Amino acid sequence: MSNEVVIQTRNLTKIYRDFWGRKKVRALNSLSLDVVKGEVFGLLGPNGSGKTTTLKLLLGLLFPTEGEVTILGKSASDVTKNERIGYLPEESYLYRFLNAEETLDFYGRLFNMPAHVRKERAKKLIERVGLTNARRRQLKEYSKGMTRRIGLAQALINEPDLILLDEPTSGLDPLGSRDMKDMIVKLKEEGKTVVMCSHLLADVQDVCDRIAILDGGELKVFGRVQDLLKDQGVTQIKTSQLSEGVIKEVEALLASRGAKLLEVDHPTTSLEDLFVKTVRDSAARPGQRYVPPAPGKV
Amino acid sequence: MSLTFFPKPFDLGADLRHWAIVMVVIVVVSFLTAIVTSILALGFAGPLQVLAHMIEGFKDLLGTSPRRCLALTQLTFREALRRKTLWVFAVFALLFLFAGWFMSDVTADSQLQVKNYVSFVLRTISWLILPVALLLACWGLPEDIKARSLHTVVTKPVRRHEIVIGRILGYSAIAGLVLAVMSVIGILWINRQLPDDMRSQLIARVPVYGDIRFVDNDGNDKDNQGNVLTAGINVGDEDMFRSFIEGNTKASAIWEFSKLEPKRFDDGGRLKFESSFQSFRTYKGNIERQLMCQYTLVNPAKKIRVQLKPFEVHEFRRNVYDVAEQNKTLEDVNHNNEPVDLSAVIEEGTLQVEVRCLSSAQFLGMARPDLFIRLPDHSFAVSYFKSIVNIGLMMVMVVVLGVMSGCFAKGPVATMLTAFVILVGLTAHDFMKTLVTGKVAYNPTITVQGTGVMDSLYRIPKHMTPGVELDDSFGVRMMKTFDNIELNGLWAIQHVIPDFASYDTSEYVANAFDVPWAAAMLPNLLATLGYCFPWIIVGYFSLRLRELEAK
Repeated sequence: MSNEVVIQTRNLTKIYRDFWGRKKVRALNSLSLDVVKGEVFGLLGPNGSGKTTTLKLLLGLLFPTEGEVTILGKSASDVTKNERIGYLPEESYLYRFLNAEETLDFYGRLFNMPAHVRKERAKKLIERVGLTNARRRQLKEYSKGMTRRIGLAQALINEPDLILLDEPTSGLDPLGSRDMKDMIVKLKEEGKTVVMCSHLLADVQDVCDRIAILDGGELKVFGRVQDLLKDQGVTQIKTSQLSEGVIKEVEALLASRGAKLLEVDHPTTSLEDLFVKTVRDSAARPGQRYVPPAPGKV
Repeated sequence: MSLTFFPKPFDLGADLRHWAIVMVVIVVVSFLTAIVTSILALGFAGPLQVLAHMIEGFKDLLGTSPRRCLALTQLTFREALRRKTLWVFAVFALLFLFAGWFMSDVTADSQLQVKNYVSFVLRTISWLILPVALLLACWGLPEDIKARSLHTVVTKPVRRHEIVIGRILGYSAIAGLVLAVMSVIGILWINRQLPDDMRSQLIARVPVYGDIRFVDNDGNDKDNQGNVLTAGINVGDEDMFRSFIEGNTKASAIWEFSKLEPKRFDDGGRLKFESSFQSFRTYKGNIERQLMCQYTLVNPAKKIRVQLKPFEVHEFRRNVYDVAEQNKTLEDVNHNNEPVDLSAVIEEGTLQVEVRCLSSAQFLGMARPDLFIRLPDHSFAVSYFKSIVNIGLMMVMVVVLGVMSGCFAKGPVATMLTAFVILVGLTAHDFMKTLVTGKVAYNPTITVQGTGVMDSLYRIPKHMTPGVELDDSFGVRMMKTFDNIELNGLWAIQHVIPDFASYDTSEYVANAFDVPWAAAMLPNLLATLGYCFPWIIVGYFSLRLRELEAK
């Protein structure tokens, strides 16, 4: 992660007005933040907090009422900035009468790519998002998860430096969600900058380096995820399994040093990890199934 | 069987100048409006933003990519197919399957039967293709914005004008394809429906028109004010398209033909006239006999007058008069009936033809297109497809107008706006022109009085005719000022709304005329370009300045 600023907003404000020009709602109020190259940045907040409005201001889909936006060193209204940007909208608003190959070919042509480059990238991306078997099916036949995948593929067709993802994991099953997060991490490893907005906190925690929390159109929290979540008043030590006696000795030692043992427990894995492991095991060993214990042996 | 309108002469230089003036006026008015609006909305930073947008707009033009335009064109084409555009063929097929039942053997007159078939085909095609173009163009972009699929396009390096151009080309391509298929089916249908003996009527006559003036019963060619007589006698028509000359008097109608090329005449030099004069009888007489008419060829410079053999005027027919066939020799009555050659009469491509009625107390009615020199015929198919090209040009205009409207309005509003412009352009353009110029659009020699809303509101309750002069009072001056403003507004509207009726060239084809390049094809082609260019600019800036996600 370098210090090169990719996105900069200063006092960014958006007020929606009605037909007569009267103020309807202040969707964003004086937002100032920087996103640096190579990081995964998360925009968090409840519904209506201004996350998507921020993203649309960055993309030039909305015009700011006040303030400034610079994205990749250019104004948000400068269309040439889009050459280095990939965008996955909240819903994958793609042309449903095209199939996956045609979709990627169409978006590739919008980047003025020659035919052989489009073909090569489309093939690679379809494989990457796991749609090889469905590449000739019209998008209207796709499930929600498949639509998100092809949406991500179209966002990556130009090998962008900056990727803007609006609710990337919404509507995906845990496996799809995990794949999406893996892809985000991989993009980061490739040196890309990713900005995602989401209200699925676990997803953001898993992949984001820094976050901004918005509420009511205002920036409430901004910083590194690890720093923000770290509880400085508590120390956690992980060891191999200890016997009851050793635990008591540790407790006594801590007491003699003026500290208090707050909790001793075996860590649990997350439900997402369990789900992913189960589904992958199932794929690896088809036919294996859970057999309930005999009555009286629970 | 002649045209019921003047084929308007086309002056490229004058029309280009006129277009440039209108464009400059529109650009200046738009720029000033933008500046004032921006100041009201954003204060003194507003004009700078207007300038910035203009500069960005021109920079965008430099970044135009044909590949992107083509991609958007193909997408639009496929989208239009998905919207079941081709269902229009079902309606087309239905009409053509059953039209034959009602239209065959309607009349024994082969010319009229051909006219019915050709008019039906061309009108059906244009009335089917235009709504298709209208609906596709007006709904495409607004629906794309509503479904937000356009968001994934505008977040790519796509210039907004490329979207506008892609849409226009896509819709024009699909509607053009439908038009091409329909036109081929149409001409095959005409050929199949017509009995063998009527197919010879499928021709495209090539006329050379002259300018007309009149001489009254006393032999005067000017009125009391010294103006050339541009009309004859009115026999009671309120809407006088033809004016009449009285038989067996000194009255005549004089046609002056210029830029004639005798080598282009039939068989390399045979002069043929064709006329379709109207008879007006003041007494019944011998109803079996038609009114008699005589042509006189005149060369004013050499004072040559050649009186041709008189002929009977068959009303509602094509009266073809082959000069060489009807007259063994041409004799100059001014020089002791000495024989003269036709080349001596037609000097430097100019010929004067006097037309007189020889039947006493009867009248012959004539208008400019009622007499012409007939050149060798062209192919009917070529004329038919020229008319189809004109329908295509109109279709392109509807598409451009619809896409432009869709750039700033939602589907229903864009449809209503475009339909309104088309209807006004089809039906009311000449009326507006008449009001603005004070001259009847189809015959500028006829003037009208009493235009202006306030003037009319004042006169109607008072039962005052438009000819009565009003007092020079303050109220009347105010009234006239208001009417002037309103007529100037109408002048502007008349220039913004195209004359769509001029794209309907079916009357040429149905009446077995060739669709002329100079009077119909070229003016319509240039008018299409002249209107579409500013409409595309308006569409581009509307889309560029539009917040696609505005709530």
